Amino acid sequence: MSGKAQKSEQGGLRIAVDIGGTFTDLAAFDESSGALHFGKALSTHGHLVDGIQDTLNGAKLDVKDGYLFLHGSTIAINTLLERTGAETALLITEGFRDIYEIGRVNRPDAYNLFFSKHEPLIRRSLRFEIPERLRADGTVHKALDEAAVRDLVRSLKGRGIESVAVLCLHAYRNPAHEARVKEIVLEELPGAFVSASHELSQEYREFERVSTVAANAYVGPRVSAYLGELESHLAAAGFRGSFYAVQSTGGLFPIEHARRDCVRMLESGPAAGVIGAQAICAQMGLGDAIAFDMGGTTAKAGVIANGEPLTTSSALIGGYEKALPIQIPMIDIFEVGTGGGSIARIGEGNALRVGPQSAGSMPGPACYGRGGVEPTVTDANLILGRLDEKNFLGGEMPLDKDASLSAMRSVGGRLGLDETTMADGILRIAVTQMSHAVKAVTTERGLVAGNFTMVVYGGAGPLHGSAIAREIGIRRMLIPFSPGHFSAYGMLFSDLRYDYVRSLFKRLDEVSFDDVKAMYAGMEKEGRAAIDDSAVRPSEVRLSYAADMRYVGQEHAVTVDLPTDLIERQDRKAIKSAFDRVHAVRYGTSAPGEPADLVSLRMTVTGLMKKPEPRAVEEGKTTPEQDALLRRKPVYFRDSKAFVPTPVYARTKLRRGNEIAGPALIEEHASTTVLQPGDQLTVDAFGNLLIAIGS
Amino acid sequence: MTTETANPAIDAITVEIIRNGLLAITEEMKTNLMRTAYNLIIYEALDFTVGLFTVKGETISIGLGLPMFIRGMAETVKAKIKHFGLENIHPGDILVTNDAYITGSHLNHFTFTQAVYHEGEIVAFACCMAHWLDVGGTLGQVTTDIFSEGIQIPIVKYQKAGVVNQDLIDIIAMNVRLPERAMGDLRAQITAVTTGERRFSELLQRYGKDAVLGAVSILMDQSEAIARANTRNIPDGVYEAESYMDDDGVEIGQRIPIKVRVEKRGDEMTIDLSEVSKQVRGFYNSGYTTGIACAQVAYKCLTTPTDYPVNDGSFRSLKVIMPMGRVISAERPFPMRVWMTFPMTVIDTIFKALANAIPDRVVAGHHADLVFPNIHGISQKDGRLFIVGIGPLGGGWGAKQSEDGVSATVCMNDGDTHNSPTEQLESKYPVLVERYSLRTDSAGAGLNRGGLGAEMVVQALSPFSVTTRIDRVHCKPWGLHGGLEAAGNGIGIRRDGVWETDMPNAKIFSVRVKKGDAYLMQSGGGGGFGDPLAREPEKVAHDVREGYVSSQSAQDLYGVVVTDAGTLDSGATERLRTSRRGGGRDENFEVIAG
Repeated sequence: MSGKAQKSEQGGLRIAVDIGGTFTDLAAFDESSGALHFGKALSTHGHLVDGIQDTLNGAKLDVKDGYLFLHGSTIAINTLLERTGAETALLITEGFRDIYEIGRVNRPDAYNLFFSKHEPLIRRSLRFEIPERLRADGTVHKALDEAAVRDLVRSLKGRGIESVAVLCLHAYRNPAHEARVKEIVLEELPGAFVSASHELSQEYREFERVSTVAANAYVGPRVSAYLGELESHLAAAGFRGSFYAVQSTGGLFPIEHARRDCVRMLESGPAAGVIGAQAICAQMGLGDAIAFDMGGTTAKAGVIANGEPLTTSSALIGGYEKALPIQIPMIDIFEVGTGGGSIARIGEGNALRVGPQSAGSMPGPACYGRGGVEPTVTDANLILGRLDEKNFLGGEMPLDKDASLSAMRSVGGRLGLDETTMADGILRIAVTQMSHAVKAVTTERGLVAGNFTMVVYGGAGPLHGSAIAREIGIRRMLIPFSPGHFSAYGMLFSDLRYDYVRSLFKRLDEVSFDDVKAMYAGMEKEGRAAIDDSAVRPSEVRLSYAADMRYVGQEHAVTVDLPTDLIERQDRKAIKSAFDRVHAVRYGTSAPGEPADLVSLRMTVTGLMKKPEPRAVEEGKTTPEQDALLRRKPVYFRDSKAFVPTPVYARTKLRRGNEIAGPALIEEHASTTVLQPGDQLTVDAFGNLLIAIGS
Repeated sequence: MTTETANPAIDAITVEIIRNGLLAITEEMKTNLMRTAYNLIIYEALDFTVGLFTVKGETISIGLGLPMFIRGMAETVKAKIKHFGLENIHPGDILVTNDAYITGSHLNHFTFTQAVYHEGEIVAFACCMAHWLDVGGTLGQVTTDIFSEGIQIPIVKYQKAGVVNQDLIDIIAMNVRLPERAMGDLRAQITAVTTGERRFSELLQRYGKDAVLGAVSILMDQSEAIARANTRNIPDGVYEAESYMDDDGVEIGQRIPIKVRVEKRGDEMTIDLSEVSKQVRGFYNSGYTTGIACAQVAYKCLTTPTDYPVNDGSFRSLKVIMPMGRVISAERPFPMRVWMTFPMTVIDTIFKALANAIPDRVVAGHHADLVFPNIHGISQKDGRLFIVGIGPLGGGWGAKQSEDGVSATVCMNDGDTHNSPTEQLESKYPVLVERYSLRTDSAGAGLNRGGLGAEMVVQALSPFSVTTRIDRVHCKPWGLHGGLEAAGNGIGIRRDGVWETDMPNAKIFSVRVKKGDAYLMQSGGGGGFGDPLAREPEKVAHDVREGYVSSQSAQDLYGVVVTDAGTLDSGATERLRTSRRGGGRDENFEVIAG
């Protein structure tokens, strides 16, 4: 099938499709002509494949011409959050079936007597204990009773079980029991989706691991069926190339792997956006950047440091209080509940809040005229002149400013603030909230945010980027080409990627380097095999080595990149000082005199794919052409404390070398960029808007 | 509700921006402490609290941490200000104490404070309390005075003008059993307070002192307004309740009364704790600030539960009567090591007092104990002493008028406290966790049932000593409005395969177990709310199918008959319930509603 078709990487169409909550976005790169194509269609929730076909039709592309089809989707996370996954059973070490429900026993909402905790995806009566036990060093404390497991699995027949998750304690040390249990389940329940924890995570912490494997098993059948359906659809439409999915690391993996490790797709869209930002940084020779994405309900920030996105080894899905942890590597993205639809309300004690309640797309902001009566961030932008009644989404969707004004008065009146002050206030609050997301990924990691370029995308990002940058002291911002389709665009730059982690728990001064090398060699072998398996031959395979380290006695570890020569030279001292440096940057302190532990070893095996060449835009003069200036309109700027006559430019008419001084607006189909007074914009060779932020 | 604020020059928008800034600062302080700490109680259990305080020591913002520490930290800051005088606190100074009678808790709570300067003047304080694993003193025994509980550090400067007081460090290091851990935790706490100091300074620079402090004052007014509004809607009256603790660990079986009186008039509430037991011989005392915190935490739960940041405005409409010398306002030298246990029951008793006034806002009794045994021994691996607390286990919470209680969740004293992963414990200590599970039938029955307790069996892989200080074994979590009481907390010891569970209380001190022996910890459930015979039968059947309630209990307590296949027998249920309601009570069945 598609994954096996051998196709040259030269020529042909590379198609990327990202399914988001509201829209399905397409970006495609034609390697023969160098042309980029974009498409956008409403997501078709009943039948996602239709939305994909709509974007192809809209972009006038035929999958027959594709040699690569790259895909990210919210299907995995939506299945999890909406609880529409499979009837799933859990097989778990004797004595531990309740750990999934007990969780970490914390109660963050500490004064709320009406608090609630996470709800397991698998109910108690479908969690079964299996006779076996390993010790922390991986030795067998109690042998696996295979007959008992087989009897148990047989008893599940006819109970509508579609999927089975398996967790054995300490499987990160020794996966033998888990692997054997999985075999037995496959033998006895053919056709069931089966997932064992060590296939996803080889790190300790049993609750986090069981939550991960349960989530994978829970979403697996649906995600796998969807990917299978899409694969068939593509095949029927004549696609002969290779089909890859985007992982939460931003890396690609073949669809066969995606259908097995579905949970790795949870954050594929946001991760691809960061990869797109990384690609732009690479083009421009930028090492450090913040990838900032703002949509209708949330804003997200990720970091690229020294050319690489920062990753995390776990994430909490679904709000801190009730979160289900997922313990797999992913791009570290911090999210706040602030977006275009965020509602401003007066709460108890006469306190003003913006979000996290969102008007969504139904009813949407008041100006959508669909019945929304509460003021939102989008209404504020309309009142202040940043959005336009007649030119929203290219004029396809007229906005009702009177509705915005009336909504604004309903709140501002109670606070003694007029519509303009209230609208400006909503934006200021939204901007500080979003700036905390950016600080969370930079300042709070010891990084100096001011030294970073902020790459801003998402439909609502370019409206607020300049204000956020000022809030944090960022001096340079970049609005990429087509910010509204950026996740799909980013996928075009993804590489094949496999991430491995192995728990080690050894003191650095005592560890045997033979063991370390053997572990790395094992991970490398696995990664190379996975890449060799893939239909597309990457131009190069790159290995990155890292270790999670901590001071002896500490619990939480930090990830330290290890150049291979340090490992080759067995240079304990240099490894220790690398750790001291990382610790000092991250936390402001280090203890060079204290010994350190190697908690786990990490390796990323990357198959580098050929990247689309950036599309050059036509050269222009310093001043944009006459036809680029659409109109002038009054726009409110806080620094001027007034509406200021502001030129509005058409993004599509801007040429390389054009310069624009703020205040100005740059309009394009799905987004508007705000230049504040003092900002200075230059259009670069690839059509990116480079903005020097005024002080 | 009023639109007027203390400072009309500061608009609602600025206030909200600064509120977000304050929350971000205490959150970052918390993250930095947790990530750099050395002991499991801090990094995994998150037994610590960070906060920002005004120049008078009023709470501006407290990060998620121990609810019961909301008063102790502010009072410690106030005591430090009083001790030195603002004029004698200088840039680069960091103040420390673990004085139990100031913090109101135990000597393990080292509390560091740094002043925040703006244009040469102190405008606020950043503070961090965290639990050190060991502070010296008797190991694994009941204590009867403070001197046997470890080193006491009065209010002193840990650091003067940026220079660390090495003499102090040396004295501390010599008096604790695990000095490397203690020093690691100390460094982590310094990271937290310096983070708070730096970020609050930045906030002042960004928005100006007047705006920030003005916003802080408005935030307090807003919290006060919410608290008053939610007090006004409680019916006026005087409400009382009483409960008991098992014992103080010395006078075994001697119940300890907890009696509270709540008076509500208009938009103010008075909580009178004068009738709470006098201070006791065993180490279950806590200090005056914790006594006040009992009332404040209960009041916040009822009036401003989700108003953040936690600040002192929330408590202006609350008056607390708290004489000295009670078990929650103990005086030197009464022992304090297990300060956290009794106050939780004081809080539950306040809810109980208000059960008729505001049945829709209170909760039935909970397990009210950390269920957190300590073990110590000599590691076979390296021959060194190890000390570890394994827990908290998490237990049942009480049912409410509108919903069931929550299972296996940490007790009132703690908030964002986590348990210890088994895989982590077993890789560090010579233990094997045989079981960590929910306790069937541990919840109090009711129209809404309580949450379930949990239990854990831990086997020794090499000999160690186990100490528990668990209460509320006999004085079980009560139900409300006809809901039944839940199972209490409990312990057991297994020697050579034989379980011993019949103990006078759940307090054992340095009990030695050998390889292969084990201990059992059980947390109680939450009390039920309302008549169990009125619980929707299908809900009971569901609980039976899921194993939360046994079919026997379904019959005995709920009058619900569930078949072996797990389906509801409606006819049999109807008949059983009718006979029960008619007073034809089963002989084996006894109503034990609180």
